[in-house]
Amino acid sequence: MKDRIFKDILPRVSKPARYTGGELNMVKKDWEKSQIKMVFAFPDVYEIGMSHIGGKILYGLVNDTSSHLMERSFAPWPDMEALMREEGILLYSLESFTPLNRFDVVGFSLQYELSITNVLNMLDLSGIPLWSRDRQENDPLVIAGGPVTYNPEPFAGFFDAFLIGEGEELLPEFLDCLEQNRGLDRKTRLLKAAAIEGVYVPALYSVEYNADKTLLMMQPQYPGVPARVRKRLVKDLDNAYYPAKPIVPYMEIVHDRAVLEVMRGCQRACRFCHAGMVYRPVREKSVKVLKSQAECQLQNTGYDEISLASLSTLDYSGVNRLVKDLVKTYGDKGVGVSLPSLRVDAFSIELANEVQKVRKTTLTLAPEAGTQRLRDVINKNISEDDLFKAVEAAFRSGWNSVKLYFMLGLPSETEADLDGILDLLTRVKSIGNRLSRRAVEIRASLACFVPKAHTPFQWRPQNSITQLEEKRRYMLKQKMRNIKLSFHDSETSMLEGVIARGDRKLDAVIYEAWQSGCKFDGWSEYFKFEPWMQAFAAFDIDPAFYVERQRANDELFPWDFLDTGVSKAYLYEENELATVGVCTPDCRLVGCLNCGVCPELEVNLDLKEEG
Amino acid sequence: MRLRAQYSVGPELKFLANLDMMHLMERALRRAQIPYLLSEGFNPHIRMSMGTILPVGLWGEKEYFDLELKTMPTADFMTAMNNALPPGMLIKFCQEISPATPSLMKMVNAAEYAFMIKKNGLDLGGIVAQILGQTEISVQSRGKNKSVYKDLRPGIYGITIETADQVEIINIMVSVNEPLNVRFDELLDVLTVNGVDKELMLDFWRRGNYIKQKDKFSAPLEAR
Repeated sequence: MKDRIFKDILPRVSKPARYTGGELNMVKKDWEKSQIKMVFAFPDVYEIGMSHIGGKILYGLVNDTSSHLMERSFAPWPDMEALMREEGILLYSLESFTPLNRFDVVGFSLQYELSITNVLNMLDLSGIPLWSRDRQENDPLVIAGGPVTYNPEPFAGFFDAFLIGEGEELLPEFLDCLEQNRGLDRKTRLLKAAAIEGVYVPALYSVEYNADKTLLMMQPQYPGVPARVRKRLVKDLDNAYYPAKPIVPYMEIVHDRAVLEVMRGCQRACRFCHAGMVYRPVREKSVKVLKSQAECQLQNTGYDEISLASLSTLDYSGVNRLVKDLVKTYGDKGVGVSLPSLRVDAFSIELANEVQKVRKTTLTLAPEAGTQRLRDVINKNISEDDLFKAVEAAFRSGWNSVKLYFMLGLPSETEADLDGILDLLTRVKSIGNRLSRRAVEIRASLACFVPKAHTPFQWRPQNSITQLEEKRRYMLKQKMRNIKLSFHDSETSMLEGVIARGDRKLDAVIYEAWQSGCKFDGWSEYFKFEPWMQAFAAFDIDPAFYVERQRANDELFPWDFLDTGVSKAYLYEENELATVGVCTPDCRLVGCLNCGVCPELEVNLDLKEEG
Repeated sequence: MRLRAQYSVGPELKFLANLDMMHLMERALRRAQIPYLLSEGFNPHIRMSMGTILPVGLWGEKEYFDLELKTMPTADFMTAMNNALPPGMLIKFCQEISPATPSLMKMVNAAEYAFMIKKNGLDLGGIVAQILGQTEISVQSRGKNKSVYKDLRPGIYGITIETADQVEIINIMVSVNEPLNVRFDELLDVLTVNGVDKELMLDFWRRGNYIKQKDKFSAPLEAR
């Protein structure tokens, strides 16, 4: 199979290095000697999937520390897909070139709502039935994990199980359970797996709806199946598995660098932020552990850059010390340190300069909203003063390119807030022109706000496509030189919104859309809106029901059965505070604010350094 | 010191683009902890130059790069690099060169490509004679300017045929870089046009890169 692919197929496709495997540090375990054979399937192209840190962790975890094996597979680009279909080649894993339908478990990583059509396409290319109910004893178990699975209901029909929360402990337990019950029938194995905390087997639950189409109830149909599924998490990140020898791709990937995960979680409590709610609480790694992980990563990969990843790296208590130490150790070898999106308030000139010593990148800041009023509504606790000081410091230190992130369609947004964005950009530019020797480049990315499950805004309506388009036109009316605005697509955002807060009825729509040719929906060149609308119509489903409706205080949501540790009462209170524009401080600064996660999950805020 | 190395790229790595190959080599240099020198400026980079660019889809027997580094024994360099390189890549020779030696890019002006063909009663000798007998071989350029037709004939220096049990190998020595760059895919077209069926083509690769001075071909680095 491999020979044929190398000789006949790959010379005819774009970017063939996506499909060859064999990269440095790839692990190819002995198939026969391994217990459960799992393939990590990423529903997007190689260069996106290989950039994903969770996949690197799980790949190393299963292969290094268990008797099971994990291989990898990614969505083939349409040119490759066409050739595979034409030549009758099944989607294969990059390690052993084994078709996916020969694995025991096919595990998808769901990072983005609209990647679901790629999931279906990959299953179809693998010869695996798309619907869970159609799979036979010999078919693999198809599972999923990742942030999108905090509302798994729109995908309930396609997956045999969802693994909710962090995978470090959960995935090995799940695989062990399958191994122990090998030989039993599919349903019994799933029943046994459903007893593991964090495992959700959708087929074991029944769902009923009210006349107004909202959810009436959802309950397990079998004893031993939990009514609420609680997310899993790692309590001590210092002692959690972290890969020492990640795969180094041959081709350039999106995040082509070594990655240190400095902490998990964020308690800034931005009210729109899904990650900020579902990954609570904050757990940091110690500087000592991080330095040794940095050494391993760089030694084993040869990367020239190391990125400090987390939801809010500048909030990491040891960030100053870590950055300085890393720059001191590796700077003269030409190895740079990079920080992802920076918080505007925590930004310090000193730290920016440390990073800049070796390599200069675009400064990225996320004020999210254009006025103080709206930033208070969404609880983005930064002031204009902070922002301008940060920008000033940056331009003074020699940066000349700044990128700013905003959202359109936030709750209570008015024209004044849109003007606020334009005003803010103009002022950032004038600061740049005053302080920088070269012409400054200001870019603003304007995303459409999509309310997400498990956040304080889960009750709120999303702006309609018409509203968003009006706002976009309004923003573009004012010409600004050397300021580039880019907008997220409003149709894509609408679909994201439907799935983000959708229910079980949507799986039929998704299937229909895929059948009409929808795939790579996250890629503007492939996104097709019409087939989606036709699919909704075919099942008499109005997407506005999911996105544009103000939801009642006491509505039962399809995702309520998933226990993230954060209470619904807390989320509602935050929603109310948004209405009156009152901020909620950071709980690491003012003490516990009773979101519920620490006592519920018996875990503590884990901060390493006092400062 | 300045060092020149000859390396091979195995068939499993033939789909790498030039930039991928450069990153691969730089990462190997870092893993091997070679005391390479860095350029000055905001974006320091390793002072290495990949002198020969292997086209995507080809593997190569003899490719070359130059590197500037702090003094170290060349044998140690080779051992450290070969431990760090991925499977399929191997440094075969290296030696210190004078700082005055012109760059590979400036020197290399010829390359030899090999085409492995399944034995099928095809008269390869006849086909080769036919190609060499033409006074002009005009092809539409596959390079940057696709509208241009160019004559490959002056750039085809010689063709030899090797015979083995099941296969025959056509080796073609051609001109590369300035003034006439004969591309591998253009040669493939020439073979097809002259009767070599693509289906019979089992493999192709680059044999080596050369410096042609008058009628003499020498390698950028000769084994001592």
